[in-house]
Amino acid sequence: MTSPSTKGSREPQPDEQLEQSLYAKRQKIFPREVHGLYARLRLAGVLGLLGIFYFTPWLRWNGHQAVLLDLPARKFHIFGLTLWPQDFIYLAFLLIIAGLALFFFTALAGRIWCGYACPQTVWTEAFLWLERKVEGDRMKQQKLDAMPMNAKKLRIRATKHTFWILFSVWTGFTFVGYFTPIIELGQRLVQFGLGPWETFWVVFYGFATYGNAGWMREQVCMYMCPYARFQSAMFDKDTLIISYLPERGEPRGSRKRSTNPRELGLGDCIDCTMCVQVCPTGIDIRDGLQYECIACSACIDACDDVMDKMGYQRGLIKYTTQHEMTGGKTHILRPRMVVYAVLLLVVMGIFAYSIGTRTSLGLDVIRDRNRLYRETADGLIENVYTLKILNMDKVAHRYTLSVAGIPGIELFTDMKDIEVTAGDVMELPVRLRADEAELKVRSSKVMFELVASDEPELSVQEEARFLGPR
Amino acid sequence: MQDGLPMTTSRISRLQKCIAILWPSFLTAIVATGVFFSAFDPDDLFPFDADPEISRLGFYTIGFLLFWLIAAVSGIGTLYFAITNCMRQGQGKQDD
Ligand code: SF4
Ligand code: SF4
Repeated sequence: MTSPSTKGSREPQPDEQLEQSLYAKRQKIFPREVHGLYARLRLAGVLGLLGIFYFTPWLRWNGHQAVLLDLPARKFHIFGLTLWPQDFIYLAFLLIIAGLALFFFTALAGRIWCGYACPQTVWTEAFLWLERKVEGDRMKQQKLDAMPMNAKKLRIRATKHTFWILFSVWTGFTFVGYFTPIIELGQRLVQFGLGPWETFWVVFYGFATYGNAGWMREQVCMYMCPYARFQSAMFDKDTLIISYLPERGEPRGSRKRSTNPRELGLGDCIDCTMCVQVCPTGIDIRDGLQYECIACSACIDACDDVMDKMGYQRGLIKYTTQHEMTGGKTHILRPRMVVYAVLLLVVMGIFAYSIGTRTSLGLDVIRDRNRLYRETADGLIENVYTLKILNMDKVAHRYTLSVAGIPGIELFTDMKDIEVTAGDVMELPVRLRADEAELKVRSSKVMFELVASDEPELSVQEEARFLGPR
Repeated sequence: MQDGLPMTTSRISRLQKCIAILWPSFLTAIVATGVFFSAFDPDDLFPFDADPEISRLGFYTIGFLLFWLIAAVSGIGTLYFAITNCMRQGQGKQDD
């Protein structure tokens, strides 16, 4: 049996060629810096999003951190809203909304998410900027890369990685600052007193940032991003794409600025490869729409610049739609868009409604695990429970507790007043006593009801089991 | 051993295999950790007496890493079966 690798020079089969291109050793890409309208838009996106990310944990609201997903305390504070583990459903809702919004915007405008808002793009841009500051422009970077390792190269590389690592650590620190109060975290950091788990997450997130934005870059988009794989399912002929116009550009070729390309039989593309040089994923947009393209529009800016210099009309590479390219008109209002929009609005409506009308009172009943029941001196059956009362409201409340389900059942607690301060949990041991004669089965259903004394609408019921000898 | 494999599998680089195993399991672990710990408070599961703040964060972290490990093991299995299937099919083709 011969294996392919021993067969010598055999022509690769078509699917093998595909495999080869997919899994070829990565060519290092040195994206050239671009200037232009879309570069400015992207910069605005990058600065805006980075600003939000790094600044948000420092915001204050009514004397506490405005956005604090306080994992140690199991409470999420988002400005005036406090969410509890019971509210996990809202998180699911948020994810559904985010997903639908992504569908909607993808169908409308293609991969604008990738080009302007994806954290991978945003942090890669920041890392590229640092890299340019240290290593210089594309040419200098390429030269440095080709150079054998020497003192100069080592110095430049070390500087770059130092900046990258500092930036990453700051990123990891900010990330952890969303989950534990950031001011105390900062104090612990400067005193080298971070807890082991905090340290782990700072390092972990920092390392992920460093690896993804410094080293992996476009490979994340190509091999790791699920969105990149399935976004084409949301595309149709009216979705905004970035495309080169071959009818206008071809046949491509170099020429002098003064010549008339039509006389030379040339199209508008001067084959300067600027569009390829700026591409962060290293593809040639002139080969048509490719899944590697993250629609960053760097090639639009680059080519527009070239067109300006040549005195040609801009837009040889541009935002367009397949309909427009084939001479038709782009329809924005189409069934797919309407369906996505309606779904989005409905889910957002339900979300807003349920947040708005959520009861800010929670009750958990935990049975005493050590003993099923006890017989009291006067012959009654007693069950013991611990009630967890959650006041999720912004003010303190006093509550009245009652129980029903077995005739003549009585409730005893050691606490006269059940008062819980805002945002607090109270554990309340209670005992229930019932006459054995009233117990029809071994395990009867009882219902606890907790009502705020000052606000009768604020109430919650919770079922529990009452065990007896039968 | 790599040489004995058909081209399709031997060319999947080690890095990409690592990504294929570690990355989806990472995402799964995040979801699993979120669901699990919103339903169960580690303090109820394993009451701890030491510094409660750190311990809870510690349990989340350990839970996350365990979920990641479990999902990654399953990913290794998937990849292993996919590759061995691939090998068998590749050999089948050559035998024709
Ligand atoms: S930048 Fe424009 S002119 Fe230059 S090669 Fe690309 S498409 Fe052609
Ligand atoms: S082809 Fe153009 S839009 Fe697509 S990734 Fe490359 S530079 Fe960005």
